[in-house]
Amino acid sequence: MSDQFGTPIDQDTEAVVIIGSGAGGGTVAHELTQRGIPCVVLEAGAWLKPDDYENDEWAAFNQMAWLDNRTTSGGYRITRDFPNLPAWIVKVVGGSTTHWSGATPRFKEYEFKGRSHYGEIEGANLLDWPIELADLAPYYDKAEIAIGSTHRHGRPALPANNNYKVFAGGAEKIGYKFYATGPYGTNAEPYDGRPASVQDGFNFQGDKSTAKWSTAVREVPRAVESGRCDLRTQCQAVQVTHDAQGRANGVLYLDKDGNLHRQAAKVVCVAGNSIESPRLLLMSASSLHPDGLANSSGQVGRNYMRHTTGSVYARFDQPVRMYRGETMAGIIADEARLDTSRGFAGGYYLETLSLGVPFLAAFVDPGTWGREFTEVMDAYARTAGLWIVGEDLPQESNRITLNTGAKDQWGLPVPDVHFDDHPNDVAMREHGYGRADLLYEAVGANGTHHTPPYPATHNLGTLRMSARPEDGVIGAFGEAHDVPGLFVSDGSVMTTGAAANPTLTIVALAIRQAEHIADRLGKGDL
Amino acid sequence: MSDPASASTPEPAADLAPALVRLLRAAYPHPSFPDGPYERTARVILDQLDADLWHRLALERGLATLELRAAQSGSEIDEKLLREIEDAEFFRFIRGVTVTTLYNDPEVWELLGYEGSSFEHGGYLHRGFDDLDWLPDPRIEEYDGPEQLVEVADHDQPQQTQESQA
Repeated sequence: MSDQFGTPIDQDTEAVVIIGSGAGGGTVAHELTQRGIPCVVLEAGAWLKPDDYENDEWAAFNQMAWLDNRTTSGGYRITRDFPNLPAWIVKVVGGSTTHWSGATPRFKEYEFKGRSHYGEIEGANLLDWPIELADLAPYYDKAEIAIGSTHRHGRPALPANNNYKVFAGGAEKIGYKFYATGPYGTNAEPYDGRPASVQDGFNFQGDKSTAKWSTAVREVPRAVESGRCDLRTQCQAVQVTHDAQGRANGVLYLDKDGNLHRQAAKVVCVAGNSIESPRLLLMSASSLHPDGLANSSGQVGRNYMRHTTGSVYARFDQPVRMYRGETMAGIIADEARLDTSRGFAGGYYLETLSLGVPFLAAFVDPGTWGREFTEVMDAYARTAGLWIVGEDLPQESNRITLNTGAKDQWGLPVPDVHFDDHPNDVAMREHGYGRADLLYEAVGANGTHHTPPYPATHNLGTLRMSARPEDGVIGAFGEAHDVPGLFVSDGSVMTTGAAANPTLTIVALAIRQAEHIADRLGKGDL
Repeated sequence: MSDPASASTPEPAADLAPALVRLLRAAYPHPSFPDGPYERTARVILDQLDADLWHRLALERGLATLELRAAQSGSEIDEKLLREIEDAEFFRFIRGVTVTTLYNDPEVWELLGYEGSSFEHGGYLHRGFDDLDWLPDPRIEEYDGPEQLVEVADHDQPQQTQESQA
């Protein structure tokens, strides 16, 4: 398989070097190359094309999941069930946009001001973002138009599939109002050169039809075709270097055969997701930055968030066949609000979710067996499912560290992912389980199963944005407080996690950041 | 040690399979399943023993003693007996393989009513993605009635705002 695409850029040419090609990195590469700025994109995975995607859960998982060794610690159940798989994210061109379901709610105004609104909560390391919803609103528009979100900018709604009929029927019965089949990043009608959904039921495995937006089908190909992008796949970044003045000036990376290279850089954008990005900065410690690059605050790798999640699978007498159709084209927003009379700060969404038989068996209640387990599986065709996704609180002790006692395939220390639920997270999850039970019982469920959080798909906050350098790692446009020319472009930047699925916000922030970088480069200021 | 015919090493895979299938049926009981899926899963488990001496030792010993205990109590291997050895190494290994193998079997998918890949058939768009008929068709558009989502409850407005209003 080829590992270089687009227009080669010399390794000694100081380019904009982007690490990762997912929602953040792919978007920055697209935005900058459209403005005529040459970019080198280093992607750890290979470039799978839609024809390569497997509509088979385990085959697809083994094809694209990030399976490099990782370790886990802390009180979360993942340490027992999936000790080397804290996160379910993707290692291919397009990153986790290949795998995402597609829900695109925006963050709410109060969610940019967590510290002001939630106050001092014991154990939480809350902080207000240095930006507000109004700063991001125009970029949310651009992101929704790029993605083609349904229900937005003239894009029509997706139809109701079977799982949604149960979900929305229950929502209506218990008095919820703010439900719909979106906004959702998959075409209901042809848009932007890609077709309408054929409701094939596979999202997490990559969308063979390309009806679903991902940077692998939109931003990355356009960047590569621009003539200004050098995409190098199967290249793992291992260090970001800086010059004597402390400015970012290069990236050391391994090619697929393990050979070490150096790409010179005038700007480095780190977008490797919230585990790899802080790992890279920690591995980039130097005599100027002994605790890891850009870590004078001590916050690199801390405040790791994975959203408060859980699933509920409900059994009915009649067939549902939840697996037919778009996986997450159903969103209830009634609980996505701040009302501490519910017993917790922050809000959450309920979203339709379906797993096939292979993954339901693996994830519905890991480790269980016996009739209790097989009853759930026997009811598969009569089962409806939903996902709870809400804001979890940042905690300093939830963090990514280098585990020097365990090495990856290159001999580099693996990231350890330490996590404990905050009591607020537990209270929110229990509330969500309870509301989902009511919802499904209202339309005749004769049993529900509460599924614990999966390996995290939403990994956030480990290089957070802050107004003051002592509170976080990067500033309002994602540039490191300590290292000029070093930007962070992925979900690591999130000061707090909000309730919404993060992809839309990562894309909006990346568009805004790219505009800022282009502006500064144009002025000779970077 | 000279006569190969009298060598004491049996064909373990062939010997272990029936007991293993009985165990799998007890641990993952599906009344509607024939033996085929359990037998295929047992084969996958036994195939892995060639690569791992520790698992072979643990599984051979575990299965033999489990059959013995069942015989002593005059019963079959059942869930009650398995609960008593839930944390045994060999049983954990069996469960780990089974959950990703038994349920990754196309015959099991069919038995449970899962149709899997559909892209090659044009998706489920014309093959029942919305054929649920025991509930009314719901609204798919966002709510546009008179109510507004209250993003922040009155009692959760930041202190200084309340004070400045007071």
